[in-house]
Amino acid sequence: MKYAFFLGCLIPARELSYEVSVRKVLPELGIELVDMKGANCCAPFSIQSIDHASWLTLAARDLCIAEEMGLDVMTLCNDCYESLLMVNTILKRDKQTRDKVNETLSQVGKEYKGKIGVKNLVDVLYGDLGVKKVKDAIKEPFNGLRVGAQPGCHLTKPKRIHFELLRGFNDLDALVQATGAESVPYERKEMCCGGPLRDINDDLARKVSRQKLKALKDADVQAVTTVCPFCFLQLDLGQLEIKRHFNEDYNLPVIHFIELLRMGMGMKLEDWEIKAHRIPITGVLKDRL
Amino acid sequence: MSEVANTPRGRGILLCIQCGRCSSGCPVARLTGEHNPRRLMEMIILGFKKDVLSAQLPWYCLSCFTCLDRCPQGGDVGEVMFALRNIAVRQGNVPAGVSGQAKALYETARVINPVRSALDKRETMGLVKITTDGLEEVQKILKITGMEKIVKSI
Repeated sequence: MKYAFFLGCLIPARELSYEVSVRKVLPELGIELVDMKGANCCAPFSIQSIDHASWLTLAARDLCIAEEMGLDVMTLCNDCYESLLMVNTILKRDKQTRDKVNETLSQVGKEYKGKIGVKNLVDVLYGDLGVKKVKDAIKEPFNGLRVGAQPGCHLTKPKRIHFELLRGFNDLDALVQATGAESVPYERKEMCCGGPLRDINDDLARKVSRQKLKALKDADVQAVTTVCPFCFLQLDLGQLEIKRHFNEDYNLPVIHFIELLRMGMGMKLEDWEIKAHRIPITGVLKDRL
Repeated sequence: MSEVANTPRGRGILLCIQCGRCSSGCPVARLTGEHNPRRLMEMIILGFKKDVLSAQLPWYCLSCFTCLDRCPQGGDVGEVMFALRNIAVRQGNVPAGVSGQAKALYETARVINPVRSALDKRETMGLVKITTDGLEEVQKILKITGMEKIVKSI
């Protein structure tokens, strides 16, 4: 299995530990990642809010790069995933829009053909590799660790796009269970982390995260796991901000799912990776670190 | 309303029957009375252009797309928000967080850029370099689509 690896903006800027774990774990599972040279930002919601045509064309440019590589794209971020997936879906379906986008792309020597698919980390692990192989790779299962899985909005919404891709909505839960941990059901699981309003309306963003964290705490989870850098940032760093503004202490460790998988496979996290979590993970995972 | 309905992501406004399923599932509407997607749709339908485009109204939405799944009409309220924002931006209504990302995109082809220490760490770890290889093409695209002009005006 081989994918065009779309790194995005936030991960290399602020969540190096996420990227490093992906680069360590996936090859162990027989998955090869090829970096996309010259890729631009996926054109997330902030850019879509400004100009529609720019969104379509910029995302299409990234898709062209993957097409030239002859590989499906894999993203690590729900925002990148949603942007590239939606544009890929629109352009495959709508010839008029495709022609218009290609007219612009021809000025930079590119053409969108619609030959590849867009996937995220969960698609790759659950859909392409399969839960069984993930389970087989686990050497040190987390016996019954109570984990609250946060799939994030755009892994499953809008549902009509994902229905067509025949994707399940509990894929992440199955992957969490494969590590031996328990994926604990909690209220408002499908609710947004609040991240998209960060830097636009920080107060509201915090209040949204707070609802989510409350629900997780009520479900008595020991840790939260995410598959999106925005969810991670909002729920991890967000807890410190909530403490400052609302004087509430949730103290819920947040772990990238790939880190959970890595530890389950018997690979230790390094010191700087452990410290990349603002809410210490050393308590819950002390026997793994 | 026609201005919204005539944009690619704004067509859903024509399907709105004012049932309120968007508002009742909206995580932001739960927290603040300022944001009520159903009421916003109503304001667009009734032509309250000035009120709709003013201040914060277009910028409360998380784009979590819960309403897309809930709308019985397939009216895509969350999509209409983008049509609305596209219009608001052209009238100069754009939050600093959004214009900052747009400027970064125009200048570096990325909306968020690594700080020096992150770049140094990448180098010591032998991770792939963060480059601006695509920047020339990105700027050319933004010039053609007209976004360059918007970025320079906000």
